[in-house]
Amino acid sequence: MSEFNVAQPLVMHIDLNSCFATIEQQSRPKLRGRPVAVVNRRADNATIVTASYEAKAYGVATGMLASAAKRLVPGLVVVETDPPKYRYVYRRLLRVMRDYSASVAMKSIDEGVIDFAAAPGDIQDRDLASIGHEIKQRLRDEIGVWMRCNVGIGTNRFLAKMAAALHKPDGLDILTSHNIREIFAGLKLQDLTGIAARNEHRLNAVGIYTPLDMLDADVMTLRLAFRSVHGEYWYRRLRGWEVDDAVHDLQSCGRQYVLDSRSLSRQEIMKRLHVLAEDVGSKLRGEGKSARGISLRFILYPRGIWQAHYLSPLPFSSNLAIWRMAEQLFRGAPDNIRLISITCYHLADADALSQLDLFSDDLDTRLMAAVDSVNRRYGARVLHSASTLSLDEIVKTKIPFGSTRYL
Amino acid sequence: MNDEVQLDERVQVICTFGSGVNPCRPVRFRRPNGQEVTVTEIGLGYPTLAGRRMVHVFDVTDGASDYRLEFDSERLTWRLTRQADRYE
Repeated sequence: MSEFNVAQPLVMHIDLNSCFATIEQQSRPKLRGRPVAVVNRRADNATIVTASYEAKAYGVATGMLASAAKRLVPGLVVVETDPPKYRYVYRRLLRVMRDYSASVAMKSIDEGVIDFAAAPGDIQDRDLASIGHEIKQRLRDEIGVWMRCNVGIGTNRFLAKMAAALHKPDGLDILTSHNIREIFAGLKLQDLTGIAARNEHRLNAVGIYTPLDMLDADVMTLRLAFRSVHGEYWYRRLRGWEVDDAVHDLQSCGRQYVLDSRSLSRQEIMKRLHVLAEDVGSKLRGEGKSARGISLRFILYPRGIWQAHYLSPLPFSSNLAIWRMAEQLFRGAPDNIRLISITCYHLADADALSQLDLFSDDLDTRLMAAVDSVNRRYGARVLHSASTLSLDEIVKTKIPFGSTRYL
Repeated sequence: MNDEVQLDERVQVICTFGSGVNPCRPVRFRRPNGQEVTVTEIGLGYPTLAGRRMVHVFDVTDGASDYRLEFDSERLTWRLTRQADRYE
């Protein structure tokens, strides 16, 4: 194999198994060993966010409707998400990981990466597999006996994550140049992290049908497949070189909500959209950002998507500004809505544009600062618009997948 | 579906304070109806914020039911907020 990174593997990927379901089983002992599905809202049309391994054994999967899962699994226990609990476990996991290295990156609420290249010398001198087993035991000791995780070790994030996925639950694997061909021989293309249907088609178009084909392909073939420099990134990634450690600035800020009923009036939908607008405003200001773009994106019954966008000439960050624009855009929305989402984009630091912001939104800015201060002191949404009264139990704050920014 | 009841009962709790990662451990509690529950396991204990007020949540069990106890660290009160005992 040419140009493979043969350095000592120093990247560890840790992944909590079926995170929310496992945490629920840890906190509620009577759920242990039972098929459990976690949903955002206990309703038959709710979508499963995650399922326990006992439920997965029956074929229950993320994205399945709770009603379909119940038909599949006799005795399925459906519980609602409990974000404060998951945030706590996330912080405990982060604390454990930071005990080993200053370079820790959380990829989502349930997985993260430790780069041992930044670890103190006495930790670097230790065998990483033994550290992996130690982390597993610490999760059981410091969070609870039911907590399990997968650990993967490699020379880069990609190989470490691939290793972590090899033996679930509770596995520990190392993926290097010595065993990569043997491991790849047993996989399909879509088993590779970052290769889904669309990328698979691109690879098939250049004669690559298996992970080994992809590993053996040269740089030009991969550049042709991906029609960009991403082909070269893949060439290096597969050979254990790090190409995935870039840190990205916040590009957008949004929130979505699956409507709690199909028979809501437009006014009732608008109230729910208003809650999302206030939440997005709060996040935006919390990050010290203002936006210039706002977009609504709705998923419709039985299928289909409706979208509308607006780019403001001046930046905004107040709840009122976001709501007014969202309300205008909503007028063009159809009736058969299943999911609503609102996103603010074209972000900039609020301080850098404060001069413009003041001229356009002076009273709003001061009012929002006061509202944010009260909500931080007494609780989220203690102060909110009158039209969103009584919606807090309906439009609850959920855990964002992928981003750990708001945890 | 599971039989899960949301409650808001002021309860009396005996707990121990020791060392280690989870130093506060509720041991036993008495409900307003007189029922006394002995905690056999603490599933998870974690702090959460109600505004700036710290509330410590303890998900516990007595082997027959799972309970949620909440300790308000500002008011120094315990409340029983959930019971789940039948999983079908």
